Amino acid sequence: MALGDVKISVQNLFKIYGHNPRAVQDKVYDGIDKSAFMQETGHVLALNNINVDMREGQITVVMGLSGSGKSTLIRHLNRLIEPTSGQIFLDGTDVLAMDEEALRDLRRRSMSMVFQKFALLPHRTVLANTILAPEARGENIKQAENEARKWLARVGLEGMEDSYPSQLSGGMQQRVGLARALTSNADVMLMDEAFSALDPLIRTSMQDLLLELQRDLHKTIIFITHDLDEALKLADHLVVLKDGYIVQQGDPQEILLRPAARYIEEFIQDINRARVLKVKSIMSPAKTKRGCGDVVRGDDTLEAVINAHKGRVDGTFAVSDPNDATKIIGKVKMEDIYRALVRPQMQHD
Amino acid sequence: MAYDWIFSALGMTDACKTDSGPLLSLSSLRNEAPNPWDLPFPSLDTLNEACAAFPKTRDFTAALEDGFLYIRPALRTILDPLTQPLSWALDGALTLFVEMPWWILVPLLILVAKLLSNSYKVASIVATSFLFLLFVDYYEFAIQTLSIIFVCTVLCVAFGVPLGIAMSRSDRFQNAIIPILDMLQTLPTFVYLIPLIFLFNITEPKLYGLAIILYAIVPVVRLTNLGIRLVDRDVMEAVTAFGLTDRQKLYRVQIPLALPNIMAGVNQTIMMSLAMVVIASLVSAPGLGTLVLDGINNLRLGVGFLAGFGIVLIAIMLDRVSKAALARIDKSNKS
Repeated sequence: MALGDVKISVQNLFKIYGHNPRAVQDKVYDGIDKSAFMQETGHVLALNNINVDMREGQITVVMGLSGSGKSTLIRHLNRLIEPTSGQIFLDGTDVLAMDEEALRDLRRRSMSMVFQKFALLPHRTVLANTILAPEARGENIKQAENEARKWLARVGLEGMEDSYPSQLSGGMQQRVGLARALTSNADVMLMDEAFSALDPLIRTSMQDLLLELQRDLHKTIIFITHDLDEALKLADHLVVLKDGYIVQQGDPQEILLRPAARYIEEFIQDINRARVLKVKSIMSPAKTKRGCGDVVRGDDTLEAVINAHKGRVDGTFAVSDPNDATKIIGKVKMEDIYRALVRPQMQHD
Repeated sequence: MAYDWIFSALGMTDACKTDSGPLLSLSSLRNEAPNPWDLPFPSLDTLNEACAAFPKTRDFTAALEDGFLYIRPALRTILDPLTQPLSWALDGALTLFVEMPWWILVPLLILVAKLLSNSYKVASIVATSFLFLLFVDYYEFAIQTLSIIFVCTVLCVAFGVPLGIAMSRSDRFQNAIIPILDMLQTLPTFVYLIPLIFLFNITEPKLYGLAIILYAIVPVVRLTNLGIRLVDRDVMEAVTAFGLTDRQKLYRVQIPLALPNIMAGVNQTIMMSLAMVVIASLVSAPGLGTLVLDGINNLRLGVGFLAGFGIVLIAIMLDRVSKAALARIDKSNKS
């Protein structure tokens, strides 16, 4: 498995809640209205034909409002919820075909999870909470505790190992949750609105912590949120859900610049385009610096470029590869940058 | 005879004739028309008047008794060996508690109280109560009662907690057991003494042991079930997501988190055992209950009153100790 390969593949996933889901599944079609379906069949259509590929080493963010099915989707990945139909492949193995023992092994070894409401064991210390996965595996407790101490220090909780969860603040409890997931050493981390219950400042520092950890660890992270800013900040691949179906998925910059539906356009109305859009999304491709002034990095935000050039409104810049400063991949004019700051007209209805 | 017409309509008049012949009623002799105000419900006895072959209520109760007497030998051969250990335990505990000199047992009990509750106040309650009981020469009776309560509580917990755990795992099982628990809890205690007296010798300790256990086991079963079902669903989801087996979940998460409720159940079980003490003495249990009975039967008010007070003292002791132990468990969970 190399970075960038497909780690988890969700194919044709359906979830219907009710007393006879299989029977009503035939009535589902693309674009069906969820409430009409409820009225007609008395069943709830939670997931409607989900197809997503989640790549190794990347953060895949599933975003949607309440009732969009995002929590349901993430719980299918480790089979906390069973699907009505469809397939989920982890490293090529069908998760839905696994027996109980294999499934338990999957949860102990291959996937870890962080929860919105922390879900720590209140009767155990922070350290005892953190070693949950190796303990479930039956590993040596002392070794597990050493590992756990390392991760607790990494998330900034050194010295708190013997406290109880009720003595900690929300932000600290979620760090324990994060340390618990990291201690399991699983390749995949499922994060169910992990930062939604935290206050804004703590949320930002946790997002930064996650990105910093990811730079070192390159885990495959599936992150659920309803917060667009958070999604844009974290996502390598963004999936937007509405009423159980995927409205659009892809590179977040793509979705911002070329929204495929009115729903997305409304969603992205109020974002800070200067802070989120990156130069490489609006540049025109080029190989040389000819005709350009300064060089800017491909993953610089538009805001950074405007700031760096102290409010000048003219000039053309060469854009360098984010990973290799000597390689030129495009050029961009300052007026293009300014134009990109303005909200475009809504195209879809 | 209000309901003759039913049997004539069914063509059963001949079948209804018995050797003794139908009894004559005054209204049939007078050939009166049936009076709506006097119309009886077609109960067993009324229908028997119409058709003598139809069973009376008296026959019904006699049949119940006959049925029970019929299966009694079979039941005894099964139940006697099963319940014999209970007799041994009760006898053994009684002997142990009674034979031990007071100057060993009482300090021991005070020490145990201090250890369980971690409170001098509770230990002093225990000490004062025992000093009082020793002083009024009720010590031996109190110790007998205490030993019975002890054995019965241990058995209630040993059987009740696993039963509660089983109930918490299956809704169907829970729905099957709850009516039995309801019945055990609301049936007047005299009523289920009746089959017990039929089945066992009245001199055997297992008779009153079973009576106490059946009455007192209900709280610990209910509260164990409740405690486990009330464990935070988010916590259970998390331990499932990390791949714990059912057994790991039960011992490492569910029981520790349900412990406050289980302990509350044990506390109630102890109290309900004490409530049975007097009735247990009706069927040969030794202890303070016998003194209460003596007071009632022989109208010795003072004896009955003092013995009752002694039972209250034991209740207070056991209640305070178990509540303090419960509070300690609660604290270690929360802190």
